[in-house]
Amino acid sequence: MTGIPYTPEEGALVLAGASVLLIVVLLISVWKKMGIGREFVVGLLMGGAQLFGIAVLLTFLFRFDDDVRIWFPPVIVLIGLMAVIGGRRSAKRASGMPGAVRITTPAIIAGAAVSLTVLALSRAMPLKPQFIVPLAGMAFGNSMTICSLALDRLVREFEMNRAAIETRLSLGASSKQAMEDLSRRCVRAALIPTIDRLKTLGIIFIPGAMAGLLIAGTDPLVAAEYQLIVYLMIVGGGIVTSLIVAVLSRSRFFNENEQVRDWI
Amino acid sequence: MNIYEIRNVEVALGRKKVLKGIDLDVRKGEIMALVGPSGSGKTTLLRCLNRLIDPDSGSIRFEGKDIRSIDPVELRRSAVLVPQESIMLDGTVENNILYGPRIAGASRKVDVAGCLEDAGLPPRMSGREASRLSGGEKKRVALARALALEPRVLLLDEPTVGVDPRKVDQVERTILQFSERRRLTVVWVTHDVPQAMRVSTRIANLKDGRVREVKETSEFEWEGVY
Repeated sequence: MTGIPYTPEEGALVLAGASVLLIVVLLISVWKKMGIGREFVVGLLMGGAQLFGIAVLLTFLFRFDDDVRIWFPPVIVLIGLMAVIGGRRSAKRASGMPGAVRITTPAIIAGAAVSLTVLALSRAMPLKPQFIVPLAGMAFGNSMTICSLALDRLVREFEMNRAAIETRLSLGASSKQAMEDLSRRCVRAALIPTIDRLKTLGIIFIPGAMAGLLIAGTDPLVAAEYQLIVYLMIVGGGIVTSLIVAVLSRSRFFNENEQVRDWI
Repeated sequence: MNIYEIRNVEVALGRKKVLKGIDLDVRKGEIMALVGPSGSGKTTLLRCLNRLIDPDSGSIRFEGKDIRSIDPVELRRSAVLVPQESIMLDGTVENNILYGPRIAGASRKVDVAGCLEDAGLPPRMSGREASRLSGGEKKRVALARALALEPRVLLLDEPTVGVDPRKVDQVERTILQFSERRRLTVVWVTHDVPQAMRVSTRIANLKDGRVREVKETSEFEWEGVY
């Protein structure tokens, strides 16, 4: 059972039908000179190509999911790509911070690794590409979002509170002590959307994994249970990511002499 | 005996050279005023003295030791800078006063009331929310907070800017009294030359990143400072 309410042959037709709405939106944006037409088309083409690309790869991987020697290398490459792209994208949030990618990439990898390891150890993620690839996507995606939020907030708060931080330094605080409150605030702020989603889970927000399971015909109770397991692991990974961002970014804000660096 | 020996110190902030070869000695126990127009480098020099920034070239010796060989955190506890903007930390006045000794892991009992009195504030103020104080009160809490560290040097950046003009006298008197009682060396940045003449033992006149002259206050003539 695919859970999809049309045959594979009808797929292209349904996709074309769904695109009508997008074309209307595109026409309106051109007509109203909103200036997003080009970006919209590029985004659509990129997103579509990436989705079909991963679908082709998954089709290949699923065919050989009993032979670890075949599926393991491409899955590792895919996860590596997620880490690199996630790290680079997230680093763009730290305006002006030199070497931000050396903070974001390890933080995202650590957060996602914690999520995936716990999922694997708890047997919620059997070691097969069918589970690893989508769950890794969720774990890396969530870690990237939290990483971006934490870093963006840290840079902005540091800029706004520079005088307060230097006041603390002047009173003999180490850089770690001077940033303590600010780091705590930023970690908390970065996790607010995740915690809010956790609170509204199932009411105004049915997450991707559960939606997929429901469409595929899984018992709603089983789907909800699985979603909760996945979500809790992802929240845990997010906390790890934000804490690592706070720790690693200290060396970008301060030099070895406990002085605020020039770029900030 | 000199507590600071500053030799040929140069600092650039971005592309602008702010200090262009400063030579200056600060004697132990004196109150040295740094005067000069805005942009002359007074605050930048003060920030070099507790290593909030390091010079690009030249040397600073503190109590005979090259400042770069001293742990900056330790140095800042001995030579405390009170910035122009008196930013209060979260919590009460007492929390603010205890901040420095607490993070330094001091085991000694901090005399909060004594610090407040030395800074010209009543001890009963210790329980008040620091962020709700007036500008003048915040200035004094910032001084009390610095005194709680029992420093050897106080680096004051315009300590009376923003204080009610009728109370400037009081703040000046307070600083003079506690610095004498505690035998502190004070480096006092001010753009107000008459104030420098009232409070200091010596005056260094900075202009365009250089020390133009250093004189005993009684010999200082303030024409030509600006």
